[in-house]
Amino acid sequence: MSSSAILEGVRPDAADLVGLRRAAARVLLGNWTGSSTVPSRTLYPHQWSWDSAFVALGLRHLSPRRAQRELESLLGAQWDDGRLPHIVFDAATPEGAYFPGPDFWRAGPFPGVRTSGIVQPPVHAFAVWEVFRADPAEAERRGFLARAYPRLAAWHRYLRTRRDLGGHGLAAIVHPWESGMDNSPCWDGPLARVDPVPPSRFRRRDLDHAAPGDRPTDLDYGRYVRLAAHYRDHGYDDASAPHAFAVEDPAFNALLALSELALARIAAAVGADPAPHRRRADEVVAALLDRLWDASSGLFLCRDLRGGGLIREHGVTGLVPLAVPGLPVAADLLRTACGARFGLGRVHMVPSYDLTGPAFDPARYWRGPSWFNIGRLVHLGLLEHGAAERAAALRRSMLRAAARSRFAEYVDPLTGEGHGATGFAWTAATVLDLIAHDPPKVDEVGQNS
Amino acid sequence: MNRISCQERLLPGRTLRQKWDFAVRAGYGAIELCGREDLRERLPELREAARSGVVMPTVHAGAPRTHGPEARRDAVARVRTQLSVIAELGGTGVITPAFPPQPGGDGDGAASQDDLDDLAELGAHAADEGVTLFLAPLNRYEHPRVNRLEQAVALVRALGLDSVRVAAGTFHMNIEEADPAAAVLAAAPWLGHVHVSDSNRRPPGAGHLDWPALLGALDAAGYDGDLVVEGAPAGEPEEALAAVPGFLRRALPARGRPAS
Repeated sequence: MSSSAILEGVRPDAADLVGLRRAAARVLLGNWTGSSTVPSRTLYPHQWSWDSAFVALGLRHLSPRRAQRELESLLGAQWDDGRLPHIVFDAATPEGAYFPGPDFWRAGPFPGVRTSGIVQPPVHAFAVWEVFRADPAEAERRGFLARAYPRLAAWHRYLRTRRDLGGHGLAAIVHPWESGMDNSPCWDGPLARVDPVPPSRFRRRDLDHAAPGDRPTDLDYGRYVRLAAHYRDHGYDDASAPHAFAVEDPAFNALLALSELALARIAAAVGADPAPHRRRADEVVAALLDRLWDASSGLFLCRDLRGGGLIREHGVTGLVPLAVPGLPVAADLLRTACGARFGLGRVHMVPSYDLTGPAFDPARYWRGPSWFNIGRLVHLGLLEHGAAERAAALRRSMLRAAARSRFAEYVDPLTGEGHGATGFAWTAATVLDLIAHDPPKVDEVGQNS
Repeated sequence: MNRISCQERLLPGRTLRQKWDFAVRAGYGAIELCGREDLRERLPELREAARSGVVMPTVHAGAPRTHGPEARRDAVARVRTQLSVIAELGGTGVITPAFPPQPGGDGDGAASQDDLDDLAELGAHAADEGVTLFLAPLNRYEHPRVNRLEQAVALVRALGLDSVRVAAGTFHMNIEEADPAAAVLAAAPWLGHVHVSDSNRRPPGAGHLDWPALLGALDAAGYDGDLVVEGAPAGEPEEALAAVPGFLRRALPARGRPAS
C-alpha cells in the first residue's frame, strides 16, 4: 500500500483515534508476508528480530494468531547455540535488495533459512507473554507457550553464557547493530578503534530509499562491515572471535531482565519452574546497578569492555531500565528523563540521545531522533513507577507524531517531523498497542459508529 | 457499527415473522432473503413482514440450477425481478455470482462478453431502481472464472457503474485468497457487501478462520455495511446461530466505549 493511501481520511491531530487505529491496521496488514511482518516494504524487506517482538505487541490487538506466528517464525530461525539472529532473510527477496544480505553473512540455522549472525535486544519473552495474554484460549489451542518456552530459555542461556564477555553477569554486544540503536554516539568511542572497510568495497542499499542525512555515515558503515566480517570469519564463535567491539549495554540487559520475568510467568504457565528465571532477572538487575549505573548523571551508561570504563555518552539506552519493575533507582531515572538531557514533556516523544550532548543531531537515525519502540518502553516504565500523567502525555505525543508522520520510522524530537521509512511496522504496532491500552471513548472519537 | 444479518433459510421458524423474532433475540439486525423462489409471488408475504417490522435489505440470488443460454436468460430475468422487489421493500440490493457458473473453467478471471452484457443490463436496472447489484466471487469448485475479489473488482471497474459493487464471502476467500485480509484492503473502494461463514461453511466461530484479522481488515478498510451469515446447511443448531452475533461483536475491533 502506498504511504499516501495509509493515512487517507485520518485527521493529523491524533484526536481521531478510530481513524488512526484503522490506518495503523492497514500498515500492519500491508506489511504482513504470511508468516511475519516486514518493518518497511521498501527499506527493510526481511524479518528483523526486535522489530518482530514490537510488531507482535501491536499485532496481538489485530490478530492474536498472526502475533503468535510473527514470534514463532522468528523463533523457528533460532541457531543451535540458542541465538536468535537479528535478520531472517526472506528467500523470495533478491540478494541485492538489502546490504549486508545473505551472501555477506553466509549464515543460518539450517539449509534453506538464511540469517545474519548477530543478535538484537532480547525483548522476545516479554512479547511472547504479552501476546499470550491477548488471547489465552487461542494460544492454548495452538500450543503457543509450550513451543516457545524451550526456545526462549535457550536464547537467554546463550546470552547469559557465551555473551557474558565481561564475566560479571551482563550480556555483551559485539556489534553496534546488536543494540538496535545502530549509530548511537555511545558507540563512537569503541568504534574509533575499528579500521573501516573503504566505501568502494561495498554497496549500501539503505541510501536507495532514505536521505543520506538521516542515515549513518559511510565511515560508520565501513566499520560496521569490518566488525561483521570479522565475526563471520571466526564462524560467529563468541569464544574465539577477537571482538574488537564489546560493550555492556543498559537497554539490552534491562530487556533481558524484563524478559526473564516474563519467562518466569511462561514457565509457570507451562508447568516448568519459574524460580530460576526470577533469580536471573534479579541477578541482571543487580549487575546493571553495579556495572552500569552512574549516580552523577542519574543514568545507566554503556561499559566498553575493550577500552575500559564507562562510556560518558548519555543515550536513551540508559533510560530503558525504567521499564523494569521494582528498579531501585527509578526515581533518579525519572528525574533524568524529565531533565535537560531528554526533555520529557517538552519535546516530541523521547530523544534517542542527550539533547545537550555534543553529538546530538535531531535527524540522524539514533543520534537524537525519537523512536516509537523506545517511547513505548519509557511509557511502560512511567506507568510502572507511578508517573501516570507523564505516561499519558507521552502517549499523546506518540500518537500525534505517528499520525503526522504517516507512521514514520523515527521523528525529529524538536519538530515532530518524520524521517526514514513511512508505513513503518513497529510505529503502527505501537499505535495499536497504545490505543488498546486506553481505547477511545465516545466523546474522544466523535461519531462512534 | 456493522449490522449483523442472517440468511432467511438458516433461521428457525416457519414464517418470516417467526424467523425475525429469533433473529432479534440473538442480536441480528436484518434478514437476507432467499431468491430461489420467485420473489414476485411472495410479495404479499414480504409486504406484510415489512409492515410488521422485519428488516430485509438484501436478496441472495442463488445460482441457477441449469446451464446454457436459456438458463442464463432466466437467471437475468430473475435477478431483475429481485432488484425490483427489494427496491419496493426499501432494501439495498441483490447478491449474485457472475452467472451462470459453468463447470470446468480455469479460474483465470477473464470475463466473457456475456458476463459483461448481463451485468451491464442488471447494473442499469439496479440504478433505475435505486439499489445495488453485489457481485460475489465464488470458490473454484462453484464458479469457473470469478473466484477472487480482484477478479470481481476488475469486472466492476470494466462496467464503470456505481450500482454494481463487490460482495466478499469469507468461506470462498479462505479457499481462493493468498491473504484474505490483504484482499479485503485491496478491494476496499469497491466492496459493498460481506457474507460471513467459517472455513467449514458453518457459522462464524465453528471453524478455524482468523476472524480478528478478517474483521480487523474490514474495519481498517472502512467497511461499515452488513455482515451476513450465509452458506451453512439448513438445520444448523439454533444455539450455533444464536451465538454468532456475540462472537462477531467480540472479534470486531472495539469502536470505542461509551463515555462514563
